[in-house]
Amino acid sequence: MTVAAPSRAAPAWERWLTRERVTAIRRPLTTLVVVLAAWEILARTVLTNRLFFAPPTEVALAALRLWRTGELQHHIAVSFSELIYGVLLAIVIGTLIGVLVGISQRVQAYTEIYITALYATPLVAVAPLIILWLGIGIASKIAVVFLTAVFPILINTIAGVRATEALLIEVAQSFCATRAQIITKVTLPSAVPFILTGIRLGIGRGIVGVVVGELFGAQAGLGFLILTAGQAFDVPSLFVGIVTLAVAGVGLTFAAGLVERRVLRWRRTLQVD
Amino acid sequence: MNAQAVAIENLCVEFARRGERLLALQDIYLDVAPGEFFIIVGPSGCGKTTLLRVLQGLAKATRGRVLVSGNVVTAPGTDRGFVFQQDALYPWRNVLRNVGFGLELQGVSKAQARARAQAMIELVGLAGFESHYPHELSGGMRQRVNLARALAIMPAILLMDEPFAALDALTRETMQHELLRITAAAGTTVIFITHQIEEAVFLGDHVAVLTPRPGRVQEIISVDLPRPRPPGIKQTAEFQSHVARIVRLIGTYAAHA
Repeated sequence: MTVAAPSRAAPAWERWLTRERVTAIRRPLTTLVVVLAAWEILARTVLTNRLFFAPPTEVALAALRLWRTGELQHHIAVSFSELIYGVLLAIVIGTLIGVLVGISQRVQAYTEIYITALYATPLVAVAPLIILWLGIGIASKIAVVFLTAVFPILINTIAGVRATEALLIEVAQSFCATRAQIITKVTLPSAVPFILTGIRLGIGRGIVGVVVGELFGAQAGLGFLILTAGQAFDVPSLFVGIVTLAVAGVGLTFAAGLVERRVLRWRRTLQVD
Repeated sequence: MNAQAVAIENLCVEFARRGERLLALQDIYLDVAPGEFFIIVGPSGCGKTTLLRVLQGLAKATRGRVLVSGNVVTAPGTDRGFVFQQDALYPWRNVLRNVGFGLELQGVSKAQARARAQAMIELVGLAGFESHYPHELSGGMRQRVNLARALAIMPAILLMDEPFAALDALTRETMQHELLRITAAAGTTVIFITHQIEEAVFLGDHVAVLTPRPGRVQEIISVDLPRPRPPGIKQTAEFQSHVARIVRLIGTYAAHA
């Protein structure tokens, strides 16, 4: 019998669950348990006024109640679709304009200073105006998400296009590539790592955009849940909204990491620890 | 004589740099016959690379002209394949898709491009590495991909700009033999730039020696060594006398440079 024999018989999940993975899961989980326990104790000993604070157990009960009535799912679905549509729009338009600005000195001269200025401006501040224009439905929130998410994508696309190695463009030229071919087959793929970074930043800003947009005027969504719960002094429900947002943030970051690893398979990765 | 694969007539190339005119190449006349392995050597900065770039259509002639198969060169063309000095592969494309790049640009059908790229990969000895990405390959292997990519568009003329300069001595030797085997199989005319004199004599039918800037053709030497050339040929007296002659030619100006 060889040494490697037992691993062949082990089921797939057992092979996946290596010692490193167990550690990688256990450590953050420990933090979570400690924080939840501290929160519970704090809420039951010091901050006992339920008008201002609630322990995690009551938050969980509120979440269960909201889930049973179907309210929570509805809020999540509304906020999620606002985020997705807004971010998708930002990806399409941000990438298109980014390539245009990146390849043309002239377009850059006309626009770059304003793009930089708008990137630095907290555009959630225009949310009330947009709600005035587009109403309290889903469209106004998509617009707010778009506005907040498009600039990091735009800025990163411009940087990525600029960073294209001149030699790689020259290779394409020597193979008689047209201008359009150079853009689609050299410039864009070489800018992909930058664009993905921009998208990740854009999603982060977009989540803020969703919540702020809903706070200013909405009919549903997690921001709306937080607003109405706050007005009703229903602190457990308010925390449900906040915790759901935090979980969604972690989930989206993880998903973005997976996509990045899949798309950037061709990159040399250095394992540093 | 119009049967030349490449004819360079009275070529001058000038660059403008910070308002100054810089003469890179002066009065170049060269003829390269079809199927020939033509080497250009010269000190660094003598305009070798510029000459190759003009041939490829990447740089413009200030005076004179360059003909490939009787046609004046004004832009890159698929009758010429360029092998770059540096590792100029697309890092996001695997070997197969790097080699098929030129065919893809030409709009060759996917199946046909794939088949021809596959054949070129086998020709350069990289079968089995089709799905590897450039960062997974050694320097020598990357340069083979570079060569296969240029050959895949079936150019009449292969332009090579110090393709082995970045390789270690052993890999370089291997690649020299491989290159002779591959170009003999493909029947391509080759114009090859190097500053390694032994490499020039080993590979070339003719070796043109350029002067320092502005580059002019100092002399064209015929290397009448038999083909195929075995590895041991580098130790023969004939080989060494060719090497010594080129060293002397380059040395005449190196001495008072």
